[in-house]
Amino acid sequence: MLALQLLCNGIVTGCALGVVAVSFSFVYATTKIFHVAHAGVYTLGGYVAWSMLGHGFPTAVAVLTAIAAATALGALIQGLLYARLERRKATHLVVLIASLGTLAVIQNILAAVYTADILRFNLPWGAEVFRVAGNVRLTMTQLLTVVVSLVAYGGVMWFSNGTILGKQIRAVASNPFLAEITRLQPRRVHIYVMAIASALVCLPGILVPMDFGLQPYNGITPLLTATIAMIAGGVGSITGAFVLAIVITELQNMSLLFIPGEWSIGVTFFIFVIFMLFRPTGLFAAAR
Amino acid sequence: MDFWFSYIALASIYVLLGLSTNLLVGIAGIFSVSQAAVFGVGAYIVAFFLMNDITSFLPAMAIAAVCCIALNILVTLPALRVSGDYFVVTSFGIQLLATAVFTNWTDGTGGANGLPGIPPPDLAGKALEESWQVVLLCLGGMALGCLIFWLVMRAPFGRLLRAIREDELAVAATGKSVLRAKVSAAALAGAFAGTAGGLYATFLSFIDPSSFDLDASILLLTMVVVGGARTLAGSIIGPFLLLALPQILTLVDIPTTIAAAARQLIYGVLLIAFMLFRPQGLAGEKL
Repeated sequence: MLALQLLCNGIVTGCALGVVAVSFSFVYATTKIFHVAHAGVYTLGGYVAWSMLGHGFPTAVAVLTAIAAATALGALIQGLLYARLERRKATHLVVLIASLGTLAVIQNILAAVYTADILRFNLPWGAEVFRVAGNVRLTMTQLLTVVVSLVAYGGVMWFSNGTILGKQIRAVASNPFLAEITRLQPRRVHIYVMAIASALVCLPGILVPMDFGLQPYNGITPLLTATIAMIAGGVGSITGAFVLAIVITELQNMSLLFIPGEWSIGVTFFIFVIFMLFRPTGLFAAAR
Repeated sequence: MDFWFSYIALASIYVLLGLSTNLLVGIAGIFSVSQAAVFGVGAYIVAFFLMNDITSFLPAMAIAAVCCIALNILVTLPALRVSGDYFVVTSFGIQLLATAVFTNWTDGTGGANGLPGIPPPDLAGKALEESWQVVLLCLGGMALGCLIFWLVMRAPFGRLLRAIREDELAVAATGKSVLRAKVSAAALAGAFAGTAGGLYATFLSFIDPSSFDLDASILLLTMVVVGGARTLAGSIIGPFLLLALPQILTLVDIPTTIAAAARQLIYGVLLIAFMLFRPQGLAGEKL
């Protein structure tokens, strides 16, 4: 029974991390920036939603404000930091260090304002329990997480393949130089990409803490799992990132049957090493 | 006086770590946030050997250095074979994993409570009980580290590393193995970090996981960025400046509950500001 419960929990968390992986992959495939500060955007979303709810705003308003804040933050990071560095022809390493600095800034502002203690969402409707098949229990939050994540994944797929902006973004991703001379304005597109990815990552950023609570330094582990999923799924493949995030979280959750929870980071990392050694291009990699 | 002793000893240890980070980040151009993990492995190994009276100080240091070299080779080799960005993931992973080990493997590391009562270092059979002796030992370690760094950078190997930073493709075209050079640089960085860990453990006689977490790695990176990448001067200036920062912060009235966050916030701001306005740091070369 425990195994079945863990399996279900794995799917829930996996879907949420899938969205993180998709959003990260979106940024990485287009801008080629290893956007470490994404973990900070993820964390910020949860905190904004938490404070809005704390001030008595309805859930929908709180979530929308959080998404707006995350979107603005993402666009700002791109416009004020990454774009400037790019104009100065900064090396990849410089951009990475700046991104890490941004992550440290966001996390520690949150830690200074809200303290490093764990904060819990107090939502009566979220704790409502459903019984799924026998003794397996899922809360309302968990069901919502799965639904929202699947919708977000579908939305990204549709956006990327079915809309003009989505196609422009893919064009910029595949050949920035050609995009520049055909007046696609890669710089502007990069800002859109960061804004969209930040809005996306805000969803799991709110939903996961509803289950596990909020902490300022809690964004790194999800981001690490998400980046591993992106690499294992094949960089550039949205489906690959999403599916592998679920698979990895599932393996991590099932490992709880044999290994205590504090070592689960080791399990995730072990999966990464295996992929790195045997299939570094990922499972869903496009033919090159 | 005690304050100056501990400041100088800690700064010398961090200079060794700065050299280590500089080799990896500045010279080999590998982004690493797991330097503190390697530092910690060195510290725990030396603590283990000295507390259980297995060997004396110098052999324990040598073992720690060898283990850290092996660890760094093991960590960098598979990731760098594929791409630099893979190493970012590896590096975060190793750091989080190391923190998990330091915190949860209670039998070996004392868990979150740390390991108290690490005996003082000994040289030629005599224990260095006085604090000035340990300070001299740390300064000696720093001087030796600086000398090795200087010699290595002058040697053909140092020129190869510089050439890789200028143009990796050109170096590969001349038949040199870029991967091998990078992994060797990482190995040397491991030796420095391991030695620094041993000095740290014996100087403080107490270690706990909080000295070796991700924040510590970010501090090390900030030291190199502020001091300046790729130069000896940079690796010395950075640690001495940044270790003075907490003391300066005590002059400003900040509630103790947010002091740690405020410190890390400053490191983050420094990282961004230097990358934007002065990527070469105070006394370094182009990053």
